[in-house]
Amino acid sequence: MGFLWEGFKQAIHLLLHPTPELLNLIRVTLEVALVSAAIALVIGVPLGLWLGLGRSRGRQVLLGLANAGLGLPPVVVGLVLALLMFRGSPLGSFHLIYTLKGVILAQIILALPLVVAITTASVQAIDPGLLRQAQAFGASRRMVGRFALREARVGVFTAAIAAVGAGLSEVGAVVIVGGNVQGQTATLATSLLTSVSAGAYAEAIAVGLILLGLILILGAGLTFAQQREPRSRSVRVVTGGRHPFEPLQPVGRR
Amino acid sequence: MTTLLRAEGVEVEFGGRSILKAVDLELRRGEVTTLIGPNGAGKTTLLEVLAGLDRPARGTVGSDGTIAAALQGAALARRTVLQNVELALAWWGIPRAARTHRARAALERVGAGHLADQPARTLSGGEARRVHLARALAVEPDVLLLDEPFAGLDLATRADLLYTTQDAIRDDRRATLVVVHDRAEAWALADRVIVMLGGSIAAQGAPIDVFLHPPSLDVARFVGFVGTITDGDDVLALRPSDVRIDPGGPHLGHIRTRIPIEDGIRLHVELDHGDVVVVADPPGPTVGETVRFSTIGGERFRRADGYPAGEAE
Repeated sequence: MGFLWEGFKQAIHLLLHPTPELLNLIRVTLEVALVSAAIALVIGVPLGLWLGLGRSRGRQVLLGLANAGLGLPPVVVGLVLALLMFRGSPLGSFHLIYTLKGVILAQIILALPLVVAITTASVQAIDPGLLRQAQAFGASRRMVGRFALREARVGVFTAAIAAVGAGLSEVGAVVIVGGNVQGQTATLATSLLTSVSAGAYAEAIAVGLILLGLILILGAGLTFAQQREPRSRSVRVVTGGRHPFEPLQPVGRR
Repeated sequence: MTTLLRAEGVEVEFGGRSILKAVDLELRRGEVTTLIGPNGAGKTTLLEVLAGLDRPARGTVGSDGTIAAALQGAALARRTVLQNVELALAWWGIPRAARTHRARAALERVGAGHLADQPARTLSGGEARRVHLARALAVEPDVLLLDEPFAGLDLATRADLLYTTQDAIRDDRRATLVVVHDRAEAWALADRVIVMLGGSIAAQGAPIDVFLHPPSLDVARFVGFVGTITDGDDVLALRPSDVRIDPGGPHLGHIRTRIPIEDGIRLHVELDHGDVVVVADPPGPTVGETVRFSTIGGERFRRADGYPAGEAE
């Protein structure tokens, strides 16, 4: 117990007097989590919307891939990406290995299936009659998509929370692709692993507490946004009244 | 009257099954047409084809104006009643500045003005139906298609909604098609009634013509001529009100079932050459008892093809 208490005391001291290294770890961690989540959302939400609104076989295959991706082992993703990023490999010319960009790319690949699968499920949960009714009142495909996104907003925020959370806590892929280079690609989670390996438990506890704090703060912020009632409207006028058919032919003429 | 929408030879197939068979239909300005038929007759499919939501396998639909449809589900978004109506106006392309006024006016027309600020999820079934109707009226289309606007309601709510909204449904500038499930609703609303059976239009005309003088035996059965008596090459189709228990009557039958109803006892009487339904005063004959009865109306059809055979008795 004394050992644990000593660890906590050191952790509190570190939190109250953060070192430049710790601040850099926080910056890198936030950058990886937020940038990768943002890019995964930009790609994944429209994709999830498209998958959720359609019923074709091709979409089902993509959805199956996204759902399978929920169980994607990060270390395997890291390994595959590292192999692709080494000099002489297909992505070697982009100089991504052991860089922050490479780490962010790995994290995007891990977060994307989360965003796609959760968004798709949320869109599919909307009453189909509501979307069809929108069409019956002349809504264009774009309007139906915007409306569906708004109706599925709770699920989309859940996808955002999942993507940010995954970015904050990822270790395997980040270590393999980023190399855990202090000051460059090391994140709070990978640094915690290093501290534990080195027996620096007080530092590990401090880093762990900061990581948990970040997860709680970002999770709470996104949850607040998720649970807010929508403002009065969101649909922008794109087209005029509906007139979908050919002009009426004169009586008796086919 | 100006024709605003015309369907010609519309056919729809689903999974190899024919849902609509060469349907021809016109909707005219200022006219309320009701579409009635049993479950599976193709009413909703036809409405959705007319609304442009589904494409026919064959045939054409032409319109001379805008078309809006209020589908059967009365699905409302998770927002207030007013916002739901405004949303429909936004979909329709109405500028934002004009939406609130139009939405409130439409809600008032269907007696739902007091619900404007309520969340849609708190509405009762009848209230949701009113709001659904309000948003269809708010968009002010040239052709309005309503799919069972009174579906899923208890009798009292249904009657209240029917009588309080029928003025709002009628508009001289608009052609209106209302899919209904009930003959009373068709009587109350329609200038013209269309009967659909098995994916085809089996009858159309003024309610009094279609319901009192149906053009075929199949239509007669659907519109309430539930009894038939075979008479040589003819079949006499009879409503319960066309049959009287009469000790001196020419027909003899025995009681198969008896069901107490509001107006007396509904008896199903089986004959050697048909069966009829008659409503008797309580206590009425018992099951298995033999009774004599007479007929005082009915429609006569040819047995061979089910088409009218001449004047009724």
